[in-house]
Amino acid sequence: MRTSPRLAGTARVAFVSLLSLFMLAPMYILVINAFKDQQAILTSPFTIDLGSATTKYLADAWSNPDFSVPYGYAVTLLLVAAVNALSIGVCTSAAYVLARTPTRVFRLVLMFFVAGMFVPTQVILIPVIFVLRGLGLMGTLPGLILFLTATTIPFTLFVFVGFIRMLPRALDEAAAIDGAGAQYTLWRIIFPLMRPIVATVFILNALSVWNDFASPQVILGPGSDVYTVTTGVYAAVGAYSADYTKVFPTLLLAVIPILVLFVVLQRHVMSGLAAGSVKG
Amino acid sequence: MTRKAWAGRRGRSQAATRAGMVVPAVMIYVGLLVVPVGYAVYYSLTDYNGFPSQTPEFTGLDNYREVFSSTDITAAMVVTGIVAAAGAALVNVAALGLALLLRQTNRFNTFGRIVMFYPHVLSALVVGFLWQALLGPQGVVNAMMEKAGASSLPFLSDETWALWTMIFVIAWALFGVQLVIYLAGLQTISPDLVEAARIDGAGRWQVFRAVTWPSLAPTVTVAIITSCLSLLKTYDVVVSLTGGGPAGSTKTLAYNILAVSFPERRVGLASAQAVVLVVAAAVLAFTVLALRRRAEEGAESVG
Repeated sequence: MRTSPRLAGTARVAFVSLLSLFMLAPMYILVINAFKDQQAILTSPFTIDLGSATTKYLADAWSNPDFSVPYGYAVTLLLVAAVNALSIGVCTSAAYVLARTPTRVFRLVLMFFVAGMFVPTQVILIPVIFVLRGLGLMGTLPGLILFLTATTIPFTLFVFVGFIRMLPRALDEAAAIDGAGAQYTLWRIIFPLMRPIVATVFILNALSVWNDFASPQVILGPGSDVYTVTTGVYAAVGAYSADYTKVFPTLLLAVIPILVLFVVLQRHVMSGLAAGSVKG
Repeated sequence: MTRKAWAGRRGRSQAATRAGMVVPAVMIYVGLLVVPVGYAVYYSLTDYNGFPSQTPEFTGLDNYREVFSSTDITAAMVVTGIVAAAGAALVNVAALGLALLLRQTNRFNTFGRIVMFYPHVLSALVVGFLWQALLGPQGVVNAMMEKAGASSLPFLSDETWALWTMIFVIAWALFGVQLVIYLAGLQTISPDLVEAARIDGAGRWQVFRAVTWPSLAPTVTVAIITSCLSLLKTYDVVVSLTGGGPAGSTKTLAYNILAVSFPERRVGLASAQAVVLVVAAAVLAFTVLALRRRAEEGAESVG
């Protein structure tokens, strides 16, 4: 016996709705409990009581000396921008050469880069400390930017090479006949055509830099005053995880801007992720 | 100047330009990714406390012996293995199932996709803290259950419960990413094939077995590799959800490296564990890729 399509459709909608509720429940609890005191959180975590709602704890979290939300955001956004600019910059020119020079050496170079996609980056952070110490960049933002750039290079280069290979060589030849040099051809003719892949890479790298906790924790270290959103949340909440009047307001402040950004850009984020789904 | 010599010089200067365009990427990649892996291998053979004043003392394979004989570290390896295997299974089954349900593009499904995906933008650390507040001994869920008269559940305070709670939380946060990958894979299946199968009288399950699943094979490989690789380095969630406890039952290898061996200033031991994890990741990636290539060749010889 076969179930009728209509019934199956209703069951599908019901199932997805239930699951959606389950996915959203933690967010709901986070939002409403950010306005309650500890007692109210423990006795009635699911209910909204406008009468006793208070913004006191949100204000406390906002002015926490361990974690200033705007500062954390500024540092993290700076990281996202710098890592992307550097990574896309160096990978575009390298990928152009690797894609247009199909010699054996350059194929090996590409494989050497691709192998880096499989290295679990947080695990090699300890030796990275010694490299950065040698460069005098340990505990600094430039050091963190360089390391995060290195972690994004394998994937970025891999998808850029794949993309440039699909662009017709006639473009390069026409430019060369008109007297354009390699740099001019690359940045004025090839790079503008790479916009879709650059957008994909930008989104994926932004997400991985944004979500990273281990690298800023180890490289910036507890001694430095520079913190990102993740290390700031850790400093603010880590030691007080049973004090929910600290946990919920801090987490709420930390996630709201990125959630708003995601909802606005969700189509681009998800299609970018799908396009680059080879990322490890 | 002869034409040939001129061409030669031009070729040389072109080659120099080309090499120059690759150098910056090579320098950053080698300096901060390849060299550290090399350092990890080197330190793993030494006893070193990380102070610049001390020189690493060569001790051969001692660190590796300790890695495989210390009950703490082998336990962390087992936990990492369980997290990677069970987590990847859970994430991929859930993601593939939902991808099939949310396949058509309409408002409801778009909303569903966003809701399934959003935890990924929260970062694993935040997700861990959030679920800790929900499932902790005095957390929201237990407070509610006690209020309703039921006894509380040891989500994070019992060793077995804590491990499975952690795997569940990771899956909750991660499966949206795999869902997007599977949805993209489903887009590439030709509707003609599905229609042809339907006309031949295939039912839903038969269409899935004979058309959807084989066409999805490359996507499945990618999704499994990416989920396993990201689960192998599970660290943030451990820090925020369980702190490795209770009694070390949720300590992963990455957590042991960064939060135990390194603070103990045992750089050599931490590096040996890192090398083990890098090798495990490489073996895993190459095995899945090789299996897939063999399956592909098999499919070609049949077809």
